[in-house]
Amino acid sequence: MNVNKIMTDLEKRNPGEVEYLQAIHEVLASIEAVYNQNPQFEKSGIIERIVEPDRVLTFKIPWLDDQGNVQVNRGYRIQFNNALGPYKGGLRFHPSVNLSILKFLGFEQIFKNSLTTLPMGGGKGGSDFQPKGKSNAEIMRFCQAYMLELWKIIGPETDVPAGDIGVGGREIGFLFGMYKKLTHQYTGVLTGKGLAWGGSLVRPEATGYGVVYFAQEMMATRKETLKEKKVAVSGFGNVAWGAVKKLNQLGAKVITLSGPDGHIVDEEGISGNKIDYMLELRASNEDIVEPYAQRFKSAVFVSNKRPWEVPCDIAIPCATQNELDNTDAQMLIKNNCSCVCEGANMPCTPEAVETLQQKGLLFAPGKAANAGGVAVSGLEMTQNAMKLHWPADEVDARLHQIMGAIHESCVHYGKRQDGYVDYVKGANIAGFLKVANAMLDQGVV
Amino acid sequence: MNFRDVMIRLEKKNPGEKEFLQAVREVLESIEKVYGQHPQFDSVSLVDRITEPDRTIIFKVPWQDDTGKIQVNRGYHVEFNAALGPYKGGLRFHPDVNLSIMKFLAFEQTFKNALTGLSMGGGEGGSDFEPKGKSNHEVLRFCQSFMDELYRHIGPVTDIPGSDMGVGSREIGYLFGHYKRLVNRFEGVFTGKGTNWGGSWIRKEATGYGLAYIVRKYLEEHQDNIKGKKVLISGSGNVALYAAEKVLQLGGKVLTFSDTNGYIYDPNGIDLAFIKEIKEMNRGRIREYLDKYPKTTFSENRSDVWKVKGDIALPCATENELDLDAANALIKNGCRLIAEGANMPTTPEATEFLLQQKAGFIPGKAANAGGVAVSGLEMSQNSMKLMWNREEIDARLHRIMVDIHDTCVKYGKERDGYINYVTGANVAAFLKVAQAMTDQGIM
Repeated sequence: MNVNKIMTDLEKRNPGEVEYLQAIHEVLASIEAVYNQNPQFEKSGIIERIVEPDRVLTFKIPWLDDQGNVQVNRGYRIQFNNALGPYKGGLRFHPSVNLSILKFLGFEQIFKNSLTTLPMGGGKGGSDFQPKGKSNAEIMRFCQAYMLELWKIIGPETDVPAGDIGVGGREIGFLFGMYKKLTHQYTGVLTGKGLAWGGSLVRPEATGYGVVYFAQEMMATRKETLKEKKVAVSGFGNVAWGAVKKLNQLGAKVITLSGPDGHIVDEEGISGNKIDYMLELRASNEDIVEPYAQRFKSAVFVSNKRPWEVPCDIAIPCATQNELDNTDAQMLIKNNCSCVCEGANMPCTPEAVETLQQKGLLFAPGKAANAGGVAVSGLEMTQNAMKLHWPADEVDARLHQIMGAIHESCVHYGKRQDGYVDYVKGANIAGFLKVANAMLDQGVV
Repeated sequence: MNFRDVMIRLEKKNPGEKEFLQAVREVLESIEKVYGQHPQFDSVSLVDRITEPDRTIIFKVPWQDDTGKIQVNRGYHVEFNAALGPYKGGLRFHPDVNLSIMKFLAFEQTFKNALTGLSMGGGEGGSDFEPKGKSNHEVLRFCQSFMDELYRHIGPVTDIPGSDMGVGSREIGYLFGHYKRLVNRFEGVFTGKGTNWGGSWIRKEATGYGLAYIVRKYLEEHQDNIKGKKVLISGSGNVALYAAEKVLQLGGKVLTFSDTNGYIYDPNGIDLAFIKEIKEMNRGRIREYLDKYPKTTFSENRSDVWKVKGDIALPCATENELDLDAANALIKNGCRLIAEGANMPTTPEATEFLLQQKAGFIPGKAANAGGVAVSGLEMSQNSMKLMWNREEIDARLHRIMVDIHDTCVKYGKERDGYINYVTGANVAAFLKVAQAMTDQGIM
């Protein structure tokens, strides 16, 4: 494989698709060595085939707003790769949505899904629709118009979309209702459904739980546990909430949360009813963390600063992209933090990752550590297919087992000669090899 | 409709798609006035809906070349508008193919098909595959892989592709064969098929014949006739050869032909049978005409074909072959009608000049619609599982071209009596599609 030549061809073929090209470049760089070890890959054109989506559908979505005007949006669905299972990936409704972003997300999803050990291919979809400021009825009409096209190409054995930015429980409900009406079938065609109508228990907590299980596994490689560890968590949304819950169950002490306005430090630990309060904070829709310090006197609010300046043993960034930069990484190292585990998607900047790895910290990239979310989506598909639901402890146990398996794959492919585990490389190689070998087995399609 | 706002919106939504934006701009310009006269269109955001394809599918086409290496191409299928009938348009295999070009062609096709009066929507598809230099087997394997995806989107009452650049009867054959194998049905899912397996008579001649018919009708409309008219033709492919054949049958005289090497000019009229022998039998070059008729003028400067004195000019070769200089020369020499056999052979500047001069000008979307019209007739014949004979198809083609002409007159006649066929064609086609969309509700 000649990475430069492949990238030149791709740039010519996909002009202006910055995000997509960037994602491919990163994956290619980390798998180049293993790719060249197996001449079959080159001979079967695996790289050329893996970077091109199986199909991309874009479509017109006309819908009526509350004033009776006709609005026209554009819908997308990328079916990227189904070597390992039906296409699977979220739907994003946001004005910034375009082909490049969805192809980037769809490409990443292939490898993340591959890591989960479950039979799921990679896909992504969405629309340039802006849900903010729309009435409930408008959201419903839009979702129905969207499904009016999408239903033709999805299905429980074909392509199973889920939520992403702008697509939550409400939108999944509207989409599912319309799908059912059009096809006259009640099937597990979407995940992230309501509990009463096919959703899985532990789905809301899944990403957070999974991150903590992964951190637990990483600490175990150094003969450590989470007990009594001081943990800095950022964010206060779904992922952070699940992580805090599981950290408490495993005996760790969570001392920070954060929002766009700053962070809070609670040296007594965020536990018990304080965890439930996180849900209240989120439900208020104000997107600030300061009220936590007003409610609980044990906490201090620090305005406009990130939580990484607070001394901790483990850091779990669960808020947003690029929230932990090189300066933050150096601060963590100075304070003797030993483990950084990504709960959000790409919260650490590339420079921060390099610094953390150079200094020998345990570092887990999101594509491995936060795969618990999509893993439980996979378990939702299984439960739908068998028309039975598992109790919460069963789903949790399976999630735990999956995170353990992901960790093991990363170690297998990421362990250096000096014993340090490069989880980024390990995750990329493990995710890639599984897909590539499946493609070899199934012939040129 | 605020034309400028619409274009700004479209540029934002379709960044970098210059061919598509250009095509939309041209249509919107000529229909802006009539759009304003129909407030019911704006009340259902018609302009936003008619400029967005119903759907586009982009897919991976992996295939094995003769050396055993895996090649990966990209396939496209644009289903633009189905207000008037199933999606219908060509397939193009060419390295330049991209989404913008596909959308441009599908958008244009929507209106051209509307003009034919037949029940056809607009679409286009293809791939960045380069058929040149490929073996028969490679083309076969590519077509089969392409169809492995396409079959689920097309169908005789859904979407019927036809041929375009790089897709001739060989490719249509390979594609049709594989479609049949995948769905286990023998049905009219393609046009341009071989005449012994579902193809229509006159398909090859259709565009050229249609062009000659609309020219004759134009002359009749202007109290004139085609008898003895001196006709300049560029190109020497199907369109040029069969336009010439019909012109000769109707009593006109053909003075020129051209190919990429140059043009020939014979003031006494060209021997069409010999040209056909060169081009259709021997796959030769146009200059070989001199072997038999040494006194004929041959020039390597093929754009000079428009400097020849003639009554009627039929550009049938390629895009942008007739520029402002050529248009000037034609008008100066007393040419009274330019009718486009090729797609967009006249540059935008030349078109503007001709319209300003109030010269006779029939744009391709009207003048060369005979091709797709006979494709539509091929669909009819496939549906009824019976084939018409040549005379019947020729008669129907003639009827369609006369109707297209009259429609252009109806919508393009200006106050001073000048007929602007560009406006006429655009407005007539647009109104037909727009009204159908309005009738059928928001979709």
